[in-house]
Amino acid sequence: MRLNSFKNKSLEELATLLAISPQNRPLKKFIEMGGLPSKKSEAYRYFDIESLLDGEYESLDYTPKVVNEGEEIVIENGVITTAPQGVRVYYEPCEQIDDDHFDPLYYLSHALYPRTIKIEVDGDRELKIVHRFTKSYAIINYRIVLFNQANRHSTIYESFEGKLVQNSFIMYGYDMHIAPDSSFRVVKLQTLQNQNYSMLASHKINVEKNGSCIFKSFDLGGDNALQLIKVELEEYAHIDAQHLLYLNDDSKRGTVSQIIHKGQHSTSNQEAKNILDGASRGIFDALIKVEHSAKYTKAIQNSKAILLHEKAYMVSKPQLEIYIDELEASHGSTTGQLDPQQLFYLQSRGISAIEARKMLVIAFANTMIETIRDSRHQELIRNEFDKVFYSKED
Amino acid sequence: MITLDIQNLEAKIGEKQILKGLNLQLEEGKVHAIMGPNGAGKSTLSKAIVGHYDVSIVGGDILFKGKSIKDMEPEERAKEGIFLSFQNPVEVPGVNNAYFLRTALNAKRVHEGKEELNAAEFLRLMKSHLSELGMKPDMISRSLNEGFSGGEKKRNEILQMLILEPDVIILDEIDSGLDIDALRAVSEGINKMKDGKRSFLVITHYSRILDYIEPDYIHVLKDGKIVKTAGAELVAQLEEEGYDSIANEQ
Repeated sequence: MRLNSFKNKSLEELATLLAISPQNRPLKKFIEMGGLPSKKSEAYRYFDIESLLDGEYESLDYTPKVVNEGEEIVIENGVITTAPQGVRVYYEPCEQIDDDHFDPLYYLSHALYPRTIKIEVDGDRELKIVHRFTKSYAIINYRIVLFNQANRHSTIYESFEGKLVQNSFIMYGYDMHIAPDSSFRVVKLQTLQNQNYSMLASHKINVEKNGSCIFKSFDLGGDNALQLIKVELEEYAHIDAQHLLYLNDDSKRGTVSQIIHKGQHSTSNQEAKNILDGASRGIFDALIKVEHSAKYTKAIQNSKAILLHEKAYMVSKPQLEIYIDELEASHGSTTGQLDPQQLFYLQSRGISAIEARKMLVIAFANTMIETIRDSRHQELIRNEFDKVFYSKED
Repeated sequence: MITLDIQNLEAKIGEKQILKGLNLQLEEGKVHAIMGPNGAGKSTLSKAIVGHYDVSIVGGDILFKGKSIKDMEPEERAKEGIFLSFQNPVEVPGVNNAYFLRTALNAKRVHEGKEELNAAEFLRLMKSHLSELGMKPDMISRSLNEGFSGGEKKRNEILQMLILEPDVIILDEIDSGLDIDALRAVSEGINKMKDGKRSFLVITHYSRILDYIEPDYIHVLKDGKIVKTAGAELVAQLEEEGYDSIANEQ
């Protein structure tokens, strides 16, 4: 399959090509949005989407397999292979597709994968989701619907494993529904690197009244990956979105997001910390929109980037779009190098320049890693960070 | 014996020459105080000794135990035994105080051919000094200087000094921003380090700290040069007549 072959096709032509109904809602939305994105598309302005769409990929068979019992949910090349006891995981068409997502590939992904993986998180619990990829030169596309029940508080630890995924294009994403008075905590750790793959993760998160979402992403290493997140906040809903990026070589990674405050007294706190080495490019293109209906909201957005190499480059675009007066909002962005005063202070105590540099980079990352509540997971992420960082610094 | 020998030192910050042929010798085991008006070059002198990136040395030399250090990296100077207590210690969020200090101590120990201290050994050492300085135990786990009050920062500088055991200690305005209790605790920490071998260079605007740390010599620094050296009795004259009286003597 070559996604570029979808270019300039009418709804009917594309429906025929994909062997799906022209009444398919996501496909119609995809066409309404102008079809495939280009480098002029808002969501992909800083990401090389065109060469990705031009690649030739093998299409995979997503026929469900027998699900084995295990400690974690394993999704291998878009098919569930393992799930823990007591977790309801099944395939079902997605009924709650977003009507107004900013990413056209969100709709294409839904159109190409009509039976989504549904994960019903029952009760207060922790779940691990492992995304496993083993196919090279393939397009691996799947969607996950994640939902919980009112008054429940759950944590999802998301990680990625890859073997022989060279030149594959992974498109996946969540449609996440957070019930009233409940909370979802998602901790994503993405360290897959040196595999020359690309990944787009296009999410929609809906936080209902009094609901809370904590979304922490730790993207470490190389290759190309973009997470595109749309969040809608109802009355008294809250999101805390934190993104740590450590990039090396010539990788391009980052976050494009829209947080929409729809309900009164909703709150959002979005923070990005970016450490860029080599000739990498970091992306933080984030909009917080406060609608007329969202009086008394509070929105905070901040991005900090440290460039470790003269060729490293950060695109930082925090944006606020506000339609009311009754709110508290702030946003900011800084990009710079390591603080020479801090470096000198450490050196003046006998610590070498190289070691001081490492300490400061790890310290910058630590301020975000330390916000993870579970100490074991905190340690895991710290170790992964050290591993990726020291593999380039030593 | 001379520990630190500063010879005809000329130094610039940016394009501006601050030190203009400064001569100073620190004797082993003695406390030297440098006093002088604002802008005389006191802090530039301390920065020049430790190799701060702001300062470029354009003439003269700095000898430590007979060896020139002016081209050494700051960390090499520190490992040799030179310590600067900063006027405004920088905050370093995310760097654990104990981890930082153990790394620094072990770097020095390796340089001296000694074995590194493990975490437990270091913690014992740190805790013993914390209680001496009246510092809270949570200083071990807090980020380096982050959110510390002015007094806590200065005590933390003294804690580092006690642990690193340097041979030359430069105290840059150690008394600024300290209340009486903090000043007393900091002074006690400094006095504890006096062993007849270590040399101290106390840089100050005011005589207050010198009531606690008795100096052997007072040097007056004006316009980038030492213009007078005398005993502790000079402090009273400076208090009485100001720095202009020194200019009049030259």
